[in-house]
Amino acid sequence: MTDEKKPMVFVIDDDKALRDGLQLLLESLSLDVACFASTREFMAFARPDVPSCLVLDVRMPVQNGLDFQQQLARDGIDIPIVFISGHGDIPISVRAMKAGAIEFLSKPFREQELLDAIDLGLRRDRDRREEVARNAALRAAYAALSAGEKDVLARVARGLPNRQIADELGVSEITVKVRRGHIMRKLSAATLADLVEMAITLGLR
Amino acid sequence: MEREQLAAYAGSNRLVVLLLAALVLGIFAIDTLTDLEIAVAVLYVAVILLSARSLRPRGTLVLSGICLTATVLSFLLTRRGSLDAGLINCGLSLFAIAATTYLSMSAQMAASAERQARARLAGVTRAAAIGELGASIAHEINQPLAALVVYGNAGLRWLGAPSPNLEKTQEALEAIVEQAGRAGDVVNRIRSLAGGTAVPFQPLAINEVVAEGIALAREGLQAARVNLHTDFTPELPEILGDRVQLTQVVLNLIANATESVAGLSDGERNVFVTTRRFSPDQLAFMVRDNGAGIAPGKLDQVFDAFYTTKATGMGFGLAISRTFVEAHGGKIWAEQSRPQGALFVVSLPVVSPNESETRRDEP
Repeated sequence: MTDEKKPMVFVIDDDKALRDGLQLLLESLSLDVACFASTREFMAFARPDVPSCLVLDVRMPVQNGLDFQQQLARDGIDIPIVFISGHGDIPISVRAMKAGAIEFLSKPFREQELLDAIDLGLRRDRDRREEVARNAALRAAYAALSAGEKDVLARVARGLPNRQIADELGVSEITVKVRRGHIMRKLSAATLADLVEMAITLGLR
Repeated sequence: MEREQLAAYAGSNRLVVLLLAALVLGIFAIDTLTDLEIAVAVLYVAVILLSARSLRPRGTLVLSGICLTATVLSFLLTRRGSLDAGLINCGLSLFAIAATTYLSMSAQMAASAERQARARLAGVTRAAAIGELGASIAHEINQPLAALVVYGNAGLRWLGAPSPNLEKTQEALEAIVEQAGRAGDVVNRIRSLAGGTAVPFQPLAINEVVAEGIALAREGLQAARVNLHTDFTPELPEILGDRVQLTQVVLNLIANATESVAGLSDGERNVFVTTRRFSPDQLAFMVRDNGAGIAPGKLDQVFDAFYTTKATGMGFGLAISRTFVEAHGGKIWAEQSRPQGALFVVSLPVVSPNESETRRDEP
């Protein structure tokens, strides 16, 4: 299950020249780019549902990059951020990195450093999106289980043997084994270890 | 205030010392000649109080010691009067002198601490202002520079593609030229800023300006145990300038000289500051040290920004000094000094009579 959608890079910088330059540069790498002069413009933009990465200037007139990073976190918008800054300010860069930034680059930055950071950001976002998709699929499959199967799964997740599960549910051990087979198939779990991991993801343990 | 400083630096403390000595001798004579019942020695308190105004704490301490000794000596030499009364009077006088010395010395110390703190603050404020200026200039130039690099990379990529896109490459090249121009504009703006039309110049007495710079540098000189020698030419004509910039130049030159003599042993570190009439329309102040000096080939280079021989420091001091001096229509240069050391000369044009006329009309 890989995300085949074409990724997109967003740039927010109040300096028009740098914005246009980044657009020209990233386009040469066949990346889709959207540039914004302010964080407000970015928020007003209908972002396509594709893997993305945000190149964000630190010092901007209305809302600075660090505050915007916090706002995104508060709003639950999970997008990897590459900071670019005109001031090689160490405390600020530490703050940004602690808050989960991919990279903090001082202007003028080296092309390769920027491209590597964007690449890493896009890869992380792709991974995150895949995980989100996997979780959604798992939840759907879990919802499709019968009530009896859910009962068995909850106890398998706790590590109980079939005998004890049968006793607790007041059914025969054969029935437990059959339900376990159904669960494995419906959730596409190959091994017991897979199943336990899924149970953890589903919050059953 | 500058006048007082000048007087102090010229060493006219001698008069005060003579006056105090005469007073002590007078009191001593009267105290010895009068009866023991008459406590003339208490008058030494007045001498201590007077000295606190013009001597350093150490001077006051020495003077106090002399007064105490004189009191005891008078008591021993005086033949007439009751011995009991004499003992009590002598004791009271000694106590009064000691107490006055203690109080006036604490006041002196507090005042000197305040002066030092003030000088340090002035230095720090200037250093901070220059640091801030540097940071904002760096940022102004950095913006177009960052864009320029990005456009350069973009151009290379569009041109280096399997099928080069000349249109995009041209777009990048045009942007590069534009951004380079933008960076150039920033530099020009800074130049015109440093050109000094923004700061209104005022008539200044060069001796006062130099004395002020010395006052700011005094702490550093004392810390490095440098002997400062001043030679001011009195009654020089006024110059037109910015007091803050020129005192900064004096401070920078003295700070440089101080560092140049750091390698010499105690007592041999000398810095000389001189003011002179250079020509009918030029004044000069000079800062000379007896340090290692400057290699003949480097005499011009020392004024370049980032030129430094020190492990710490940005190499801005002389570059900024030159900018300031040139903004005043003056010149600054370095020479080899004999037998050793460096000499920095700053020449400044004096105010022509016409200029002072027009200036007086201004509010």
